[in-house]
Amino acid sequence: MLRSLIVDLSKLRLCPVVVTQVREKGHLTRPRLRNPYWFVRKERLARDTTVTPENKTFLQEVIKDKYGPPALIKGIPSYDQSALIKTEQFERQPWHEKARRCGLIARKIGQYPLWLKNGERIRTTLLQVVDNHVIRYIPPQEYQPAQRPSVVNLNKYGCLLVGAESVDPSTLTKEYCGLFKDSGVMPKRNLGRFIISPEAAIPAGTPLNVAHFRVGDFVDVRGKTVDHGFQGVVKRHGFKGMPASHGVTKTHRRPGNIGGGGEKGRVWPGTKMPGHMGNRWRVAKGMRIWRINTKYNVMWVQGSAIPGPTNGLVYIYDTILPLRKHKTAPPFPTAFEEELEALTGGRDDVWYEDVHDFKNETITFQPDKN
Amino acid sequence: MNATRGVLSASWLKGNGFKRIVTFSTKAHAKEITASHQKHIPSAHTPTGTSDGRKSVIPQNYRFIYPEFLPDPKVEWRNPVREKLERMDMLDRRTKIDIPEFYVGSILAVTSSDPHAAGKVSRFVGICIHRDRCGLRTRFILRNIIDHQGVEVRYELYDPTIQKIEVLRLEKRLDDHLLYLRDALPEYSTVDLNMEPEFLDENAVVPINDIKVVLRPRPWLERWERQNLQGVVNVDQYITDKQRRQAIAHEKPWEKYDMMKQYRATIPEEEQKEIYAEVHSQLHNLEIQRKRNKRKRSFVKPTKLA
Repeated sequence: MLRSLIVDLSKLRLCPVVVTQVREKGHLTRPRLRNPYWFVRKERLARDTTVTPENKTFLQEVIKDKYGPPALIKGIPSYDQSALIKTEQFERQPWHEKARRCGLIARKIGQYPLWLKNGERIRTTLLQVVDNHVIRYIPPQEYQPAQRPSVVNLNKYGCLLVGAESVDPSTLTKEYCGLFKDSGVMPKRNLGRFIISPEAAIPAGTPLNVAHFRVGDFVDVRGKTVDHGFQGVVKRHGFKGMPASHGVTKTHRRPGNIGGGGEKGRVWPGTKMPGHMGNRWRVAKGMRIWRINTKYNVMWVQGSAIPGPTNGLVYIYDTILPLRKHKTAPPFPTAFEEELEALTGGRDDVWYEDVHDFKNETITFQPDKN
Repeated sequence: MNATRGVLSASWLKGNGFKRIVTFSTKAHAKEITASHQKHIPSAHTPTGTSDGRKSVIPQNYRFIYPEFLPDPKVEWRNPVREKLERMDMLDRRTKIDIPEFYVGSILAVTSSDPHAAGKVSRFVGICIHRDRCGLRTRFILRNIIDHQGVEVRYELYDPTIQKIEVLRLEKRLDDHLLYLRDALPEYSTVDLNMEPEFLDENAVVPINDIKVVLRPRPWLERWERQNLQGVVNVDQYITDKQRRQAIAHEKPWEKYDMMKQYRATIPEEEQKEIYAEVHSQLHNLEIQRKRNKRKRSFVKPTKLA
């Protein structure tokens, strides 16, 4: 109102060039946070009052006709790796050291020890790659995210959208199901994006499995840590607390002093204090893959401190640690039929050379010569 | 987990909601557990019929012989695929080494590869005082007195450096653990290092040794008076009135009625059956193999000494 009045008045003036100062908050109200296009409402509001049991069975039949049998039957993938690859529009390119490959979406399914051939015990975490499919590839020209991931030279990289865990589409919204239309795969419960170099692009609809990595490779595993809620300093930062008795009153698990006086008489930034613990994204870097099971799509990864609870979702990447990066060509852009054969040689279980296979004889040490 | 919840409600509907098998007993009702052990053992190798009329081939006592095949009952840590893979690895290991049936209180000899030992092999004989965890992490503690010094070695059951596990005397004790032997007189945990194995008759009931140990005076490593131990004779001798009163105050007699606690601490019977049905055929083959080996061993001529 005021603005239009000023403009109108300025038109009445004789001076031809007019600079009208408009001091409004318009530049602040524009949306700064624009989510990626695949952030749409997933769950549909269930209105089952009008749906009869016959309708339901009919829906299930339609789903089965369209997408085939369920992707996982008792944890084992039911589909053929080569069946869904559309090779006619796809040309494989050679791997080079600067190439960024796609990663995988997995579930942390637990942990148990393995033993090395020198008798040493290692703790491993089992990650199951859950029914991953490529949903879409966005080339570098089109990929301009509002929230830029911290990747150097982002404009050189494209984005690969990967989905994990098929779900019944009748429980999802139309918009969400629409995301999967081009790829031809069943809608997925989880979506993740991977920043990849254009050479590593994979056509939509390609299944990804655990053979994407080899035994002995190093991976970074990213997950959301266990949520502990608001915690005190003893649990959150491992403070010692104070004695339980000997005249101590009301200060058993308190932090004590939090700063000095005088010139530094304030609470310094970064002081360890109570607060929310866990529920953060964390990356366990440079973890070696000790063993791979291609039947169940499981990999055994070094360490028992992989972020997240058991049965929680994690993302697996090639490691960024410079000394542990791939020295030789990994399956590029992902493992297809021939790589799968080369990796397994017909076996389900692939063990790293240092790891003791439980099918082998007991470990013995040779007595010293002298 | 929806599956376990479904199982619970189903069993409630059937009206046998309290028919649970306790694999890890809690302290408060240790007596009942030992009683149930005794009750189950006579039916050792006899297959029992199921409710639907068919005969189950899985022996009832598998949950005592192979307790480590049951996963940790903590719901947050369970995953069917992981448990299956773990069981497959355990069976693979069992085909390479004969892991015999043993209990807390049995006397074992473990031969293991040791890079620091003189001949790269070490053998330790002792009484099993503790057995815990499940799956590939199953472990047990052997205790013995060597040169007037108590020695304990903790072994992992599926450690591939273990070459041989021999049961020298197969028996049970009155308690779930014998950690109190650390505070008992040394003769109760002294075992002869050159002990010969004592063979039990096949299909014989595993005997329960009801020996009561004598504790040394305080200080003790734990408050044994609060643990309702059956295998100790003189706990009362060394504690004061105050400690006695506190032990009574810390009793939890209501816990044996806490069905939810029991449910959370155990694997339901239906799931146990599923698990043992999966591993039964391989375990059974291994048992047959072991029996054959044992027969072979009994025909070996004694070697002439000197």
